[in-house]
Amino acid sequence: MTFDELKEYISANYPDDMTLLDTGRCEPFYEVKAEKLVAVCKRLRDDEQLKFDYFCNLGGVDTGERMEAVYSLASYSMKLRLDLKVILPHENAEIDSVQEVWPAANWYERELWELYGVNVKNHNNLTRFLLPDDWDQGFPMRKDWDAPDFIRMPEL
Amino acid sequence: MAELRTEEFTVNMGPHHPSTHGVCRLILTLSGEKVIKIVPVIGYLHRALEKICENRTYAQCIPVMDRFEYVTAMSCEYLFSNAAEKLAEIEVPERAEYLRVIMLELNRIASHLIFYGVTAMDIGALTPFLYGLREREGIIDLFEMTCGQRLTYNYIRIGGVSKDIPPQFEPKCRETIKTIREKLNDYEGLLNENPIWLVRNKGIGVLPADLGIAYGVSGPVLRASGVKYDIRKDDPYSIYDRFDFEIPTRENGDCYDRYLLRLDEIKQSLNIVEQALDALPEGDIKAKVSPNFKPPAGEVYARVENSRGELGVYIQSDGGKKPLRVKMRGGSFNQLQVLPEIGTDCLVADLVAIFASLDIILPEVDR
Amino acid sequence: MGVIKKLPIYTEKLPGGGLILTSLETVINQAQAKSLWYLLFGTACCAIELMCTGASRYDFDRLGMIFRATPRQADLIIAAGTITKKMAPRLRRLYDQMAEPRRVIAMGGCTIKGGPFYYDSYSVEKGIDHIVPVDMYIPGCPPRPESLLEGCIHLQEKIKKQKLSDWQEK
Ligand code: SF4
Repeated sequence: MTFDELKEYISANYPDDMTLLDTGRCEPFYEVKAEKLVAVCKRLRDDEQLKFDYFCNLGGVDTGERMEAVYSLASYSMKLRLDLKVILPHENAEIDSVQEVWPAANWYERELWELYGVNVKNHNNLTRFLLPDDWDQGFPMRKDWDAPDFIRMPEL
Repeated sequence: MAELRTEEFTVNMGPHHPSTHGVCRLILTLSGEKVIKIVPVIGYLHRALEKICENRTYAQCIPVMDRFEYVTAMSCEYLFSNAAEKLAEIEVPERAEYLRVIMLELNRIASHLIFYGVTAMDIGALTPFLYGLREREGIIDLFEMTCGQRLTYNYIRIGGVSKDIPPQFEPKCRETIKTIREKLNDYEGLLNENPIWLVRNKGIGVLPADLGIAYGVSGPVLRASGVKYDIRKDDPYSIYDRFDFEIPTRENGDCYDRYLLRLDEIKQSLNIVEQALDALPEGDIKAKVSPNFKPPAGEVYARVENSRGELGVYIQSDGGKKPLRVKMRGGSFNQLQVLPEIGTDCLVADLVAIFASLDIILPEVDR
Repeated sequence: MGVIKKLPIYTEKLPGGGLILTSLETVINQAQAKSLWYLLFGTACCAIELMCTGASRYDFDRLGMIFRATPRQADLIIAAGTITKKMAPRLRRLYDQMAEPRRVIAMGGCTIKGGPFYYDSYSVEKGIDHIVPVDMYIPGCPPRPESLLEGCIHLQEKIKKQKLSDWQEK
């Protein structure tokens, strides 16, 4: 399946679940509503034509006004690639855990919670693991984060 | 007489332990010598690379990427440049692509040689360590004569490579390939049939294919379990579709297969380097990229096949000269997640062998 | 008294039956300098260069430096690699576990002042000299094996110059 075929297939089969974002140069980026995330992911994984069984990556993004969670998926057997994006509010963001769909998501979601402060619901082990155990300075990957010993690179 | 009783106890392995390849800490619950629970604790090398990248220009990000996966720094550089090129739609000159492939594959060999040495050392054989690192020096010399660095190269840049190879590169490279080919026989003779090696590795730490898939494992670890998935073939980047090479796979998915598979991969990579040297065209080595490189707003996820599985980077650009977000993804992150699954119910000594055969390095996990 | 009685036996072993007279200081310093066993403490990229130095081509052993896996047997920590805030207490603990006399080499920019992670990093310790006392700094990112060797030779020279009186005060 080429990317154009993939786009067509998705617009035919997932019309109200996924909206194509205009960022895709090489691979399509789709927006998914936070409430529908787990259901869509499950369908994508079990779809015979797509079989997105490979969870590549999950990255949080803080754009300053809102939070985003970007899921990169691939399929081992069908050789496809797809990115999903969930747009969240900046404060008190919440997202459902997809670890029942892909167990691999477990640590990525912990990281999302730890560095961005996005609360992951239904996660079995939401504990600190990258930062020191006694860390109390908030969520360091946020754009507005600051600390006394944090030195920014001076502009050249 | 007091009643005899057994009790589980907890052992801390790491963060400073010679066989955890860095600073991983495993909290083991043992019953006798049997491991019944593993809890990996990471973050001892969390250097905030992603935060740093957000405050650097695109060109300045490349040295930071070097530190992300320093054993195969070339892959990281390539990955970032590739992602930035995709964002800005830059054409890379032919010669630069060939040079990149040569460097990527040489780096893969170097990384597998380190694996060969270090794994054997973990299991208790010191000689392979000395052999593996001896041959690696030949490759490091090649890198050094090209870009002047031994480990953190900053060689592959956005739009091409930073310098052309010197004239003595090609003969030296062919010589190195020849030596490694010869020495590979020695390596195999040393360990493949070695009874101690077999007992320590065969049937240990079996990773079933479906478990690997569920945990997003990639690279040699997954191929040793029989899944033929290699990004170089299945989602080709650069000019890999022009070369003739095989993707080796193995069936059993145990430590021994993972070891054999990496030796097979070295042979394939040697072939690729040779083919690339034969076909190396003349021409430019760098596309015109302004020093004020500003890709248009957009986002991209790029990935390459590294010696430890899929290496990926997600870049979001807002049109400025600094990326809005850089998220790095390393194969070891998933491999370490799967360790508690395959490492339980084995002996502590086997756990060391499993850890080594997964070839986990910590900067990739912690970033 | 014992030594003096045995002296004839010692002198016979030397060619020509001569005597070597030296100060205790020199003997101790030589012994310390020539057997600096180092702790295998590598956290990041510099550890790869440390490994290379220990392997075939650069051959650390010829300086009398052999790696040890436990701090109790080591005389020297070569802190190779970035020390993060999470790792810093562990480094101190390893240092405390070593027996006197103990020494520290800070290898690479990271251990000197944070290196490439000085700016914009929220989790890297900016230099290890406020965690453990450092004897020798080796700059580079990573330092070449040659510079590591040179740093170790300088450290040996420093040890050879030490006075017994200073050493006892510690
Ligand atoms: S000094 Fe450079 S090479 Fe050494 S650990 Fe730090 S970043 Fe890595």
